[in-house]
Formats: sequence, C-alpha cells, structure tokens
Amino acid sequence: MFRLHRKDLIEVWEDIVSIKELVIALIVNSFTTMGGYFLAPNDPPKPLLFGLIGAMIGFSLCTILIRPKRIFEEEERGE
Amino acid sequence: MDIALIAQMAAAAVLAAVIYTVIGIVPGTDETAVLVPITLVLVLTGVQPVVVLAFFISAVVANNLMDSIPAAVAGIPGGVMTSPLVDHALALKKHGLANLSIRKMAAGSFLGVLVSVPVSLLLAKSLIPFASAIKEYANPLFLAGAVLLSLMSKNKWLALASILPFSLLIEGLRYLYWGTGAVPKDTMVSISFFLGITIGPVILTLFELLNWDKRESLKRFEAKKIVLKNNSYERKQLNPFHVMDKRECATGMLASVIGCFTFILSPVGVTTFLGELFASRIKDPVKKASVAIVGMNGLANATYISGALIPLIALGIPLSPVAIGPANALFNAPPVFTLKHNMHHILSGGDFVWATIIGTGIGIVITYFIAIKYAQPICAFVFKKVPHEAILGLFFGLVLLLAYMDAGWMNVFGVLLIGIISGTLHRWGVNYGIMFMTLYSAPWLVTLFH
Repeated sequence: MFRLHRKDLIEVWEDIVSIKELVIALIVNSFTTMGGYFLAPNDPPKPLLFGLIGAMIGFSLCTILIRPKRIFEEEERGE
Repeated sequence: MDIALIAQMAAAAVLAAVIYTVIGIVPGTDETAVLVPITLVLVLTGVQPVVVLAFFISAVVANNLMDSIPAAVAGIPGGVMTSPLVDHALALKKHGLANLSIRKMAAGSFLGVLVSVPVSLLLAKSLIPFASAIKEYANPLFLAGAVLLSLMSKNKWLALASILPFSLLIEGLRYLYWGTGAVPKDTMVSISFFLGITIGPVILTLFELLNWDKRESLKRFEAKKIVLKNNSYERKQLNPFHVMDKRECATGMLASVIGCFTFILSPVGVTTFLGELFASRIKDPVKKASVAIVGMNGLANATYISGALIPLIALGIPLSPVAIGPANALFNAPPVFTLKHNMHHILSGGDFVWATIIGTGIGIVITYFIAIKYAQPICAFVFKKVPHEAILGLFFGLVLLLAYMDAGWMNVFGVLLIGIISGTLHRWGVNYGIMFMTLYSAPWLVTLFH
C-alpha cells in the first residue's frame, strides 16, 4: 500500500501527507467525533466527553490504517 | 487548604503532566484545541475549581516544553507556539546538537516557570486596584497589539491592510449568528474562530485540492527524511543552570519578565518578537540559536502563565489572548462558570497561589526529566507510528466538534470561511499573532464606524 515515490504526496503543515489518505483521515475523524457527540445522552458534559472519546477512536483507527510518510536514518552516536 | 485537597491537586497536576507530555510531543497539536476540551470536561463534571486550575497550569507547562521537542529532533513544530522556534532548532540540529537543543529547551522552560510564577502572582495582585481601568482600555490595547505586531513583522503593509477586513469578517459572522438566532445575543463565539485561524493553512490546502488545475500543479514531495541520533543518555547534566551560559540565562530571565508584563499581547507574537530581538545581536550561529531557544521556551511559559493567571486573579473576565483561547473554560463554561461567577469569584488568593505552585512545580519537574532523559526515544516512537494524516484528522474533528458546540452547523461553515481567509493571509506572510490580536479587538473596532 505504501510506496515512497508516490505521486500524491504533498506538504501540509511542515510534514508530508498523501492526498487520498488525508481525505480518508478527515472523513473518519469527523464521523467518529461528531458520531460520539450525537450518540451521547443529552446531559452535559456527556456529549463533549463522548465526542472526545470518538476523536480518540478516529485517531487510533487512522494511526493503524495509515503509514507515516517518513524515512528514518539512525546514526549511532552524535555530538 | 486541607491535605486531601492538596493531594487531589497534586494528583491532577501529575495526570496533566503525563497526558500533555504525550500530546505535546505529537507534532501539529494546537494548544487551544488540546487544552480547551479536556479542561471543559473537568469543569463541567464538577471537579473542584482549585484542582482544575492545578491541572490546567501543569498541562500548560508540560505542553509548552514537549511541544518544542519535535522541533529539535525533526524540525517539525509541535504546535503553534513552537513555530517561531523551528529555524533555530534546525540550526542546532545542522551542527549535530539536537540533544543540546533539547536540554536548552528544558532549561529555558524551567527558567520561564521560575520567573513567571512570582512575577505573574505579584503583578496580578498589584493590578487588582486598577482592574476597572484595564477593562476599559483593553480593546484599544488589543488593537495597538495588532498594529505593533504588524509593524514588527516582515510584511508590514500587508499585515496592516488586513486588520480591518479581517475584523469585519469576524464581526460579520457574529452578527449573522445573532441575527439568525444561531446563538443568543450575549454569546460571543470565540474559541472556534480562534481554532479556525490556527487551522487556516490546512483548510486552504484542502479547498485547493478540490480545484483540479491547482491540484495538478501542487508541488509534489517525497517522504520526509528524518535522521535520528541514537544517543544514550549521557552526562548527568540535570542542573538547568549548567546547561545555559550566563548570557542565555540572563536573556531568558529578562525575556520571561517582559513576557509577563505583556500578558495582554498574543503569546506567539511576543515570543517571536522578543526571541528574535534578543538573538539578532549575536553573530555566532550556534550561540544565536541557543539564546533564541532558551528565550523562546522561557517566553512560551511566561506568556501562558501570566496570560492565564493575571486575568483570572485580577479581572475575572478573559482579557488576554490566553484567557480568550486556551484558558477560556476557566472563565466561561456554563452552567458551572459564567463571566459573573467563575474561578476569579470562587477561589481565594491563597487558592491561586497553591494551585499555581503545585501545578507549575509538578509540571516542570516531571517534564524536565522526561525531556532530558527520554525525549529522543519518545519522539522516534511517535514519528514512526503516528502518521501526519491522523493528526490532521484528529485536529479537524476537534475543530468541527467545538465549532458545532459554539453555534451549531452554521458555525461549522463559518469556521471554514475563517480558515480560508486566515490561511490565505498566513500564506502571504501575515503571522498568527496579528490575526489573533485582530480577533480580540474586532468587537470594539467595528463600533468605531457608527
């Protein structure tokens, strides 16, 4: 799924993202966050709390589904 | 102040330090977006105000220090507050000094806390008699801040020319919401506008992707290369005063004191301006970057601590950029806190001192050790596991949530509109500080045209 020389890598906010996967991440997170908010019992602060939990679920899902576009080089010792 | 309450405050401070160590290190987490929701939950669930304050203060200290770590390791800002610092961190990294740069960041933060706690508390106390006068002149001060930051920025004329149109956009939306009944007449939508400005560059890019020609012509990149140094923790250099030389120490302290007095100005603006000012007189690139890093980390803490504490203790209404943004839930979280009944009215002078000392003390001690001992491995782990897409997605979700909570679906699109405009201005060279100050002065600015 992940190739280093893909055509759709762009820079947003000082780091590299794939356009397609960025769109997926935005949709997933919007859905889980707002889903949590609306599913919660209408009794403050539960909607906000459920929304935050939804946000964390969306974030975890994206972290599992999407690979970071970063290449690592390790140097044994510096300084 | 009984022991049980102190224990609760300490526990809250430890919890905040741990949570915000992780959040801070994740690159691109905006301070307001991560501080407001969690503080709001605590306030609304009925946690004691003094415990919430200890949590908040510790979170601020932890977040500010950890935010700067990704800049040292990879040249990626951890949040908005660290964007001024990236160039200097990269300069040290280029010389192979990433570890030194982390130590200097930690030492700078330590210095900032050490200076800003007493200065902010004293300043707040001495400002209490002048509270009404300050409230009266806050609006012109915000405008003066926007003008001042514009004049100091690289694109002066562009920044100055953007102030009025941008304030019309802000107030236009607010009057629209009042007019259509999206929010009651006395509700001031702020937090989501604040976030709209921050997320502007992302929103603008997203809209551009919808334009086919633009999308085809966007510059393509390759995966980002990050060099990690496999340094084991060396030399027991835990004493912050051994990490800094005299000049860095003196500049850091002076900058932090000034940062406390300028609590009414935007923290990003003040940090950029003072940091660059102090560093600009030094020729040697390593020394220059070191002074900037110590100074900017000190300033980040000083501006945040003073910006939260002074309005809380002296005024009781959110009259600083920090109070309007990240600390907003301490002033206004209906039904628990309102502008007439919030921490300012509930807590005593002693409560404020205790919460501040416990919060900052625990926050800085925990994060200082983590930063110096484990910053590199934690950073490497986060960079390897967490894709940037997930962070942008999370941030977008939070903005959506807070926008909806502020004023319903209409505001979701209002925030998108603010994002498009602020993203464009930001790309042209108007810095965040100027736009934030404009946001604060907008309600008053538009009334001048009657």
